[in-house]
Amino acid sequence: MSNNENAMDVELTAEQKQAESRRILLEGKYITRNVRFLERGIAAAEVHYSHRALRTLSNLRKRLEPETIAEVIAAYTSVSNVQNVAECLRCAVEALEMKPAANPAAKQCEPEICLFFCLLTQLYLLDNGQYEKGAKLSDTLVGMLSSSPRKTVDPLVARVFFYFSRFYEVADRLSDARPALLRALQAATLANMKESKAMLLTLLLRNYLHYKLYDQAERLTAKTTFPTDAPNNLLARYLYYVGRIEAIQLNYSQAQMHLLEATRKAPSNAATAGFQQTVHKVYVIVELLMGNIPERSLFRIPTLKKPLQPYLELTQAVRIGDLNRFQEVVSQYQSKFLQDQVLILIQRLRHNVIKAGIRSISVAYSRISLRDICLKLHLDSEEDAEYIVAKAIRDGVIDATIDHQKGYVKSAEIHNVYGTSDPQHAFDRRITFCLNIYNESVKSMRYPGSDHRKELAYADEAIRRERELAQELENDDYDEDSDADDVMDEDL
Amino acid sequence: MAAIPSTKEIAGLYENARAALNASNPKLDAIKKQLSQLKVGLVQVSIQNSQIELDPSFLLLKRGILELGAEVSIKAGDIAAFERYLAQLEPFYFGSFKSGLSESKVMYPLVGLNLLRMLSDNLIADFHATLERIDLDQLQSNPFIVHPIKLEQALMEGSYKRVWQARSEVPTPEYLFFMDVLMTTIRNEVASCVEKSYSSLPFDDAKSVLFFSSIDELLSFAKEHQWSVSPAEKLITFPIVAENTRMFNGEGIMKQTLSYARELERIV
Repeated sequence: MSNNENAMDVELTAEQKQAESRRILLEGKYITRNVRFLERGIAAAEVHYSHRALRTLSNLRKRLEPETIAEVIAAYTSVSNVQNVAECLRCAVEALEMKPAANPAAKQCEPEICLFFCLLTQLYLLDNGQYEKGAKLSDTLVGMLSSSPRKTVDPLVARVFFYFSRFYEVADRLSDARPALLRALQAATLANMKESKAMLLTLLLRNYLHYKLYDQAERLTAKTTFPTDAPNNLLARYLYYVGRIEAIQLNYSQAQMHLLEATRKAPSNAATAGFQQTVHKVYVIVELLMGNIPERSLFRIPTLKKPLQPYLELTQAVRIGDLNRFQEVVSQYQSKFLQDQVLILIQRLRHNVIKAGIRSISVAYSRISLRDICLKLHLDSEEDAEYIVAKAIRDGVIDATIDHQKGYVKSAEIHNVYGTSDPQHAFDRRITFCLNIYNESVKSMRYPGSDHRKELAYADEAIRRERELAQELENDDYDEDSDADDVMDEDL
Repeated sequence: MAAIPSTKEIAGLYENARAALNASNPKLDAIKKQLSQLKVGLVQVSIQNSQIELDPSFLLLKRGILELGAEVSIKAGDIAAFERYLAQLEPFYFGSFKSGLSESKVMYPLVGLNLLRMLSDNLIADFHATLERIDLDQLQSNPFIVHPIKLEQALMEGSYKRVWQARSEVPTPEYLFFMDVLMTTIRNEVASCVEKSYSSLPFDDAKSVLFFSSIDELLSFAKEHQWSVSPAEKLITFPIVAENTRMFNGEGIMKQTLSYARELERIV
């Protein structure tokens, strides 16, 4: 069905397209509905109306035409009292190369509605490659944003900043956007605008990572707290960036945790396949760096299978502990790893390959000479092998002792894990995880407002009356006193 | 108060200081004095004319002076000062001032030295964060950068012999200063490995494993680490750390169970 629609879009001439866009946007009540949502949100001071207005944005995005946006703006704006709002709308219309027009009959334009229209304009400019104009409009918008700290603006502001940053990224001057983002972060924190704050934090992290400023990025995450009830897609992105930073700084266990959470928080549909792939690439490397081997089933997931192929080969090399094969894989896919920005992380893997090799040797042999280890792992010298094994013992990779005089390594007996408290700890971790999920889901439940409760009470009463009636019918010989009591109860 | 020097005067002074450092037997104290004069001069000029901060020739001069400072502090063995100079040079090497300036000749030697400093201080996270910012072809081919990278790999693997050998393969003599610091770190590292992996070691072997040149050094080192030494058998015995993983941790389990009970109660 959607394919058919697309095909039709292509065949339409420019004029037809415009008419189509107009039909859908204006007459199809799309915009009207969204504006109504926003207005209701303002009246009730409820953020989730703004979310509902934004939900259709991706659908609208495909059908935007400059004429229609200008028309919409004209239809909803009068001469606004608020200087900033008028200014922004003027800029938006100018960016669309349309003549500004005002409708004297319309109500005064609220900042939310203004932002919504500007957002539409931004989207149009972005999709049509007019980056310069988009950046200019975004600058104006960002200048205005700081003056309207209302709760219902929050989701809109977050979106506006997203496209603001996007315009700068496309123009390859992200560093110029940083001061504005930092200022906005401060304002958002002070006004307690959760979604904007979450968005700004992710944007800033992206900004820092783009220039490989890991120090600054790390300090930013250390000094700020990510809002706990931020939308999941922002949280997933934030977790990915944090995971990356921690991976660079050798904090692998934290990185692994955050990356894993990022994959779980991100919805798994076709639209997020790219994100899932990117996160999984780093995740696989971090798992390997921690000395774990990622599960084989991960590489079989249809969306991940192809992009993760080099990573699968890498994993196999590490698992076997074959240094030569590892080097081969790295040099074969070097450009790909470089593109994914994990090459330097991969180069740290070398010693994990050796460790894996030592571990498998230690499991297989109860006693083996250093010389044989040296040959098996392709090491430079026996002395090197001795140091490497000694280090592996100290790091807890293997449990063994070295006999220097006789030149062999003796593995200690493998003790039964179930005799220790390890299983209990693992079990405890899982239970805590489940309990946390439960608690979080309870916390994030939404309860409808008091209107609904009135209806419920009404329904309850109706049910009770019905039941009483039935009871009365059943016992016809009920005495009058008890009936009167019942009526009084009801009045109470 | 002295009159504010012009950029030209500072440049002249800088040339003098640079020449003094390049002399066969540099007088470090005198150069340091000149350096502080230069730095004060720079600040005065930039306060007087804030636009000059954007002028490439001024930036070049500033970079030169900072580099000079870094080199002097290495020669004087002042690690803290070296770190400060490198932090100031960062925007010139990787940051916003990079574009528009020609690449400095001493950039990679200094960056390499800084990497080595991080290694010897065991600041591995900083080491890797710095590596991420260096261009890939430099990472693979520049001798000043490759040396610390190889060292780090050897350190992570545990091939301490290779680290020891790397001492003789330094690209410039300045690297030796940090290599010596690194050696002490390594010796302690080896000591902690040896403790865990051997039950006992003869004197001669222990001496070569720990890179000591004489038995006396070894003995005092053993004393520091509280290893028991028996001179008669010429043997060092390491204390065995008994692990009691089978201990039953009653209190912990009780706390866990109680917390589960509380959570369950909340659910039901």
